[in-house]
Amino acid sequence: MNFRNPFVFVVSALLALASSGLTQAQGVDEQTLLHPPGDSWPGYHGDYSGRRHSSIRQITPENVKNLSLAWAFQTDRPVPIKSSPLLIDGILYFTTPDNVWAVDARSGHQIWHYSSPTSQGEHIGQRGVAAYAGSLFFLSPDAHLIALNGKDGSVRWQVTVADVSKGYWTSMAPLVVGNHVLIGVSGDFDNLSGYIRSIDPDTGATQWQWDSTPPVGTADQTTGGMTWMTGTYDPDLHLIYWGTGNPTPVLKGSTRPGDDLYTCSIVALNPDTGKLAWAFQPSPHDTHDWDAVEAPVLVDADFHGQPKKMLMQSSRNGYFFVLDRTNGNSLLTVPFGPVNWSLGVDKQGRPIPNPAKEPAPDGRLIAPDEGGLTNYRSPSFDTKNGLFIVDAHPSWSVYFAKPADGVYGWAGADYDVWGKGVIEAIDYQTGQIRWSHELGPEGSGAGVLTTDSGLAFTGDAMGNFLALDSSDGKTLWHAGSGSHIVSSPITYELDGRQYVLMSSGGVVFAWALPEA
Amino acid sequence: MNLAATSRRSVLSAGLWLLALAVSFAQEPTPQGQAKSGVKQDVPAAPKSYPPDLVQTGAGLFRQDCSFCHGRNAGGGESGPDLTRSKLVTADVDGDKIAPVVRNGRPDRGMPPFDRSDDQVAAIVAFIHTQQIRALTRTGGRKGVDPSDLQTGNAEAGKRYFNGAGGCATCHSPTGDLAGIASRHQGLELERQMLYPRHAKSKVTVTLASGQTVAGTLEYLDEFTVGLVDATGWYRSWRSRDVKFKVDSPVDAHVALFDKYTDDDIHNLMAYLQTLR
Repeated sequence: MNFRNPFVFVVSALLALASSGLTQAQGVDEQTLLHPPGDSWPGYHGDYSGRRHSSIRQITPENVKNLSLAWAFQTDRPVPIKSSPLLIDGILYFTTPDNVWAVDARSGHQIWHYSSPTSQGEHIGQRGVAAYAGSLFFLSPDAHLIALNGKDGSVRWQVTVADVSKGYWTSMAPLVVGNHVLIGVSGDFDNLSGYIRSIDPDTGATQWQWDSTPPVGTADQTTGGMTWMTGTYDPDLHLIYWGTGNPTPVLKGSTRPGDDLYTCSIVALNPDTGKLAWAFQPSPHDTHDWDAVEAPVLVDADFHGQPKKMLMQSSRNGYFFVLDRTNGNSLLTVPFGPVNWSLGVDKQGRPIPNPAKEPAPDGRLIAPDEGGLTNYRSPSFDTKNGLFIVDAHPSWSVYFAKPADGVYGWAGADYDVWGKGVIEAIDYQTGQIRWSHELGPEGSGAGVLTTDSGLAFTGDAMGNFLALDSSDGKTLWHAGSGSHIVSSPITYELDGRQYVLMSSGGVVFAWALPEA
Repeated sequence: MNLAATSRRSVLSAGLWLLALAVSFAQEPTPQGQAKSGVKQDVPAAPKSYPPDLVQTGAGLFRQDCSFCHGRNAGGGESGPDLTRSKLVTADVDGDKIAPVVRNGRPDRGMPPFDRSDDQVAAIVAFIHTQQIRALTRTGGRKGVDPSDLQTGNAEAGKRYFNGAGGCATCHSPTGDLAGIASRHQGLELERQMLYPRHAKSKVTVTLASGQTVAGTLEYLDEFTVGLVDATGWYRSWRSRDVKFKVDSPVDAHVALFDKYTDDDIHNLMAYLQTLR
């Protein structure tokens, strides 16, 4: 090379420095996942806890009124974004079914777009990718786990993780723990068993599998227990926590007497072996499709004066659960909205289903509705105020089931009657609602993010993005998004600037304070 | 490569669609539809058989985009209605009513729009109609909610509830707004209307800073904006912090009943309403 032009030399040297910096940008390692820096959001929940609470304090209750659009990214498709983006080395990754986008987190510029249309499997939603060591792990509707090169979206390998022809599909964001890519499956339109599978990030080989139920065809035993949401992880106890879905047949329990373990359950597994440490069942013998897959949020704090390692879940069935996550023992079980299907709570802290509220030929009025008092959208544990903040859906519906509906798959019918959306801030020690914020008719699909500065970000039923004061729920900022919000916000700080990322319809919005 | 595959399929499907039309003119199946309760069921406007290949294509597309909410067999699933009992499907002719719903979605009900080609929509339409015909002709009892399933109540008890504990008579009258209600709505549709008339509009009166009042039908309300359609039919809106407004929403009385009803109350009320023909 000839460096007679000193400018060229300097530029080359800078480029060399920059590229050596880039070579270090190898994606996510174990330490990043355990302790995510503020300029990253390396897993579905951000960190492993599922709290979705950020320590970034640049945007505050005082200045949030100035929040403005830094950029927007349009997928130019009608498919709504349900995924929670990842942020790694300045690049955002988010998904819809069959699609992954890599976008510059500073500008919204598209770096690459992976698109591989599939014709099999339900295309109901895609919750995001997982990342490890330069690879992204993406699940397709036809139940393939695809390892993509984070650099350009090229396929490194792909393996089949479930049999789409039997009725499985996949939609969740995997969880990476150590050298395990942990995936779950969907499929409650058929009588199938759910499972969690651990997969080698380098080869795609199966390491272990944990099944939710006995094998299909076992007499008087349930099937189901789909594992369609991302779990959480406690590195000290070295346990992963995962929710399982409803039993099948869905609305009829006659062929599956008893509790139907481990459907509608929260399970604690060893991530190296898949061995069950404990299980707790939010909905014994469910007949209303109330998956217990909502985020198992891990909180270390005092509970009535005692320091506890807790797990909290606002469950689709309408109950808020606080467990001791070392052993699965119940600390608190309390409804967080209208619930009319139980006879109370048993000694283990489990709701007791009322047989008179099982679906019937002439219909049963049930609260909440089948979508539940909440669903896949993420709640947040606000460590600043000690509040569990969830987008709730008080609702009523009518459930039917009769002999002609059979005992396969759905096996009944249910119709929602009325519902609305409310953000509820739950005192985790008592279950009392400290404050609530109405979101409008039918309800919102927005998750919640809280920050140490005292903010809660979410969205309402009409499509307004909202920033609330997390101490009292008062609105401090809003912006109409133009579509339904069916995703959970994230936040990060790049170049000293805090961004809040929210999506609505097929558009991602990055909000920040105006640059000086 | 995918593009090429799509084009080839499009040409094929278009051919099948023409074939389907030809078949539909050639065949005129007898409409079905006498429910066992004796309540007359809607009969498809254009019952016809579709080529199996087209229906198969439609089944695949339906499973991708529709089945989660509407069920694999279109008989209802998570949150979506049973399409085999849908009035819109019954009235549809060659997709004239279904296609706009697929393309535009039903944003008010949470259904997103789907970007599908003409032949893809045609295949979905063929599948839905085929499922409806299959459901209507199914032997051994029909899946889903029949009007006959909703006959377990006692009309006299329902009338007492209507005039008494339910408080229905406060707003409604069997000889006024509800006269002939059972002729206009049947079965599950009647029951859902009874529990919560989803399309009922609220009234709103807005008082401007000047003291002027504007009354109309509430069209939009969030924390920040109130919008109405006034007596001239025009939409008008204000920042809610700039005005005072009062919403008159009698439908809220239905919501107040949910945690008071027993299931028997509902079945009795249904029995009573079904006498109002």
